[in-house]
Amino acid sequence: MSAGQYTHDNFSKILIRSQVLIALLLLLTLVVTDFWFPSAYSLKAGVHGVTAILAVVVGTFLTHRAFPLIKGMKVNLESLRRWLLAATLLNLAGAISGNWIYMRYRGQDGPRDWILAHRPLFHNVLMEFKEFISLFPFPLMLSATVLLYYYGLPIQIRRDLCKFVGITILVSWSFLMLGFVVGLILAKLRFV
Amino acid sequence: MELDQHDQPTSEQPPYTGPAVAASLSVLLAFFTLMVSHHISRLSPGLDKMVHSFGYWIPGSQGSGPDGSIGSYTGKETLALTVWFGSWLLFHLLWRKQNLSLNTWTKVFIVALGLITLGFFHPLSDPIVLFISDLF
Repeated sequence: MSAGQYTHDNFSKILIRSQVLIALLLLLTLVVTDFWFPSAYSLKAGVHGVTAILAVVVGTFLTHRAFPLIKGMKVNLESLRRWLLAATLLNLAGAISGNWIYMRYRGQDGPRDWILAHRPLFHNVLMEFKEFISLFPFPLMLSATVLLYYYGLPIQIRRDLCKFVGITILVSWSFLMLGFVVGLILAKLRFV
Repeated sequence: MELDQHDQPTSEQPPYTGPAVAASLSVLLAFFTLMVSHHISRLSPGLDKMVHSFGYWIPGSQGSGPDGSIGSYTGKETLALTVWFGSWLLFHLLWRKQNLSLNTWTKVFIVALGLITLGFFHPLSDPIVLFISDLF
C-alpha cells in the first residue's frame, strides 16, 4: 500500500491534529509566560508575543493553503479568504502591539540602551532590519485578502491570478518568519 | 462587486489583472517609502525631526523616560501608509479594466521586494545611502 493512502485515514487525522494542537499550546506557552516576567512592561511584551506567535501559526498554515492555489488545483476559496482575513487582522495586531512594546525598547535604560552599550550590532543591524520587515506581512496579507474578495469565486478560472495570490501569501510568510526569529533573538538578548 | 455574484462566469465578465497589479505595486511603493524615509531620517537630527513630525498623530510617538516613545518610526509609518493607500486608489482606478501581464509583474514584484528588503540591511545599504547623499 502506498504511503499516500494513509494520509486521509482516521488515525492520521487524529495524529496530525493532536500534533498541531500540542505544538500550538507549546508555542503559546513560549510567549504567554511573558505576562509573569518580572518587568513593568510584561503586559506589552505578552500581548506582542501572543499576537506574533498567532500570526506566525496562521501564516504558516496559509502556506499550505497557498500551495494548491499556485499549482492551479481547486481550493475552497471561501474558507481560504476567511483565513486570510484572520491572518491580516493578526498581522495588524502584531504590528500595533509591536509599536506599543517598541516604546519601551527605546525608553530610558531600555533594551536599546543596553544593547548599544554591550552589543551595538544587534541594534544597528538586526533591530533596524527587523522593525521594518516586520511591517511587511500585514500589507501583503491585506492585498491577498482584498484580491480574493474583489475577484470573488470566478478567480478560480484565472490560473495567473490564483498563482499571484498564492505567491503573495508565501512572500508574506517569509517576512513574518524573518521578523519573528529576529524578534526572538532580541527578546532573548535583552527583555523589556 | 459584480463578479462576486456569478459562480459560473461567462467570457463577458473577465477578471482583469489590473487590480492585482495595482494592489501589489502600491504595497511595494509603501515599502520603498519606508526605506527612503528611514535613510533620510538617519542623515541628521533635523531630518529625523522632519520625518518624525508626520507621525505626531500616533499615540506614543513622542515622550521620554523609561516608557519611551515610538519616535520617528511613526513618521515613516505615516508616510508609507499615505503612499500605500493613495497609490492603491490611483492605480486601481487607472487599471481596473485592464489586463496586465501577471507573469512579468510577478518577477518584477519579487525582485523589487528583495531589493527593498536588502535596503534595510545597513551593512549593504549605508555605503549606497552615503554615496547618494554626498551628491547633494
